Amino acid sequence: MLQAHSLLWHYLWVAPNLLLLVLVFFIVKRGLTTQYSAFLAFAGLSAIAELAVYAADILPWVSPPEFWSTVRASLLIEGPVKFILIAAIFAQAFGAYPSLARLGKILIRAVGVFLVLTAALAAAYAQQDSPFANIAGVHVLEEAIYLIEAGLLVFIFSFSSYFRLSLSRPQFGIALGLGISACVHLATWAVAANAVLPPTKRVALDFVNMGTYHICVLIWFYYLLVPQKVEGITTVPSNAPSLDLGPQESLATWNRELERLIHQ
Amino acid sequence: MSLAIVLVVVAVLSLVVIFLFARSRSLQISEGASLAARIQPIDVEAFRNLIDPAEDEYLRRRLSGTEFRTVQRKRLRAMAAYVWTAGQNAGVLVRIGQHALAASDAQTVEAARQLVDNALLLRRNATFALLRIYIALAWPNSGLAAGQVLSGYERVNGSAMLLGRLQNPAAPVRIATW
Repeated sequence: MLQAHSLLWHYLWVAPNLLLLVLVFFIVKRGLTTQYSAFLAFAGLSAIAELAVYAADILPWVSPPEFWSTVRASLLIEGPVKFILIAAIFAQAFGAYPSLARLGKILIRAVGVFLVLTAALAAAYAQQDSPFANIAGVHVLEEAIYLIEAGLLVFIFSFSSYFRLSLSRPQFGIALGLGISACVHLATWAVAANAVLPPTKRVALDFVNMGTYHICVLIWFYYLLVPQKVEGITTVPSNAPSLDLGPQESLATWNRELERLIHQ
Repeated sequence: MSLAIVLVVVAVLSLVVIFLFARSRSLQISEGASLAARIQPIDVEAFRNLIDPAEDEYLRRRLSGTEFRTVQRKRLRAMAAYVWTAGQNAGVLVRIGQHALAASDAQTVEAARQLVDNALLLRRNATFALLRIYIALAWPNSGLAAGQVLSGYERVNGSAMLLGRLQNPAAPVRIATW
C-alpha cells in the first residue's frame, strides 16, 4: 500500500490539489475573490504546479532531469506565493491597528532576515543526499522554504497571542493549515535533505507530506466555507449610573467602572 | 544527521506551539461574557506616586545611597506588579473590543476598534516599561519610565467607557473633557 505509484499514492498526490481547485471555484462563486485574493493565488498556482509535477512523474516520455527541473520550477512558483500569502495574513491581522502595525512590521522583517540566514546556514551544512546536484538542490530548497515559512507562521501566532489579538476565522484557518503543513514538511525535508533515510525508505516521507497536505486542504475548506457561529457580545451592566468625567478623575472613574464590571 | 535532528525538533516544537495557539483561540471564543471578570482594578493613586519623579527626588535626598537603592528596588518591584496588571487588563480589553467588533451598530464598531487600538498600545507600552523596570532593578539610580503606561491607561479608560455606554445606551453618560 505505502509504495510509490500505489493507488493511495496517486490519490494523495492528486486529490488535495483537485480539492484546492474546487475550493478556488467555490470562493470565486461566492464573490469572495477580493477578500481572499492572496489565498486564491496560492491555492490556484500551487495546485496547478503540483499537478504539473505529478504529470511529469507519470508521463513516460519525461526524463528524470526534466522531472527535477519541473519540481524546481514549481518550488520557485510556490515559495514566493506562500510568502505573499503570509504577508497578506499579517497585514490583515495587524494592519488595522496603527499602534501595533509599525512594531509588527519591524519585528516580522527582523524575524524574516533571521530565518533566511538560518535557512542559508542549514542549506550550507546539509549533507548531499544524492550524487545529482539537481536532486540534492531541490531537497535543500524545500527545506529552506519550509523553515522560513514555519518560522514566520509561528511568529504570527505568537505575536497575536501575546497581544491577545484573535485572527479572524478565515485568517486563522489559512494560517493553521499553512503552519501544520510547513512544520511537517520541514521535518520530512530535513530528514530527506540530510540523507537520514536510505532512498528505498524515503517514500514513507512522501506519504507523510501528502497526507498532511490533504488534511490541511480540508482545514481550509472548513474555515473558508463553513459559516462562523454568532458570538456573544460583552456588555456593561444596564444599571450603571450617569457619570460626569473630568480629566483628573478619569482613572479613578475607570477603576470604579471596572469594579462594576467585575461585580455585574 | 545532527542538523536533521535539530530541524526535526524545531519543526515538532513549532507544531506544538501552533496547536497550543489553536486551542487557546477556541477557548477565547467560548469565554465570551466572562471576560470582564478578569479585569483587575489598579490602585491608581499608588501607581501615580510610584512613578512620580518628585517622589524619587525626595527619597534620594532623604536616604543614604544604600538605603535609597534598597527602597528603590522595592518600589520598582511594586511598579512592575502594577505595570504587569495594566498590561493584563489591556489584554482583556483587546478581547472585549474584538468581541464588540461583531456588533451591527457602526458607532459601536468604531468605538470597539478604538478600544482595541488603545489597549494594544497600552499592552505594548507596558511590555517596554516592564523591560525598563527590570533593567532599572539592576541600576536603581537610573531614571524610571513608566509614565507612558499611565497615559495609555488613561486613553484606554476613555475608549472602554465609550464602548460600554454604546453597548448599553440605557445607562447615559456625559463624557465632558479629557
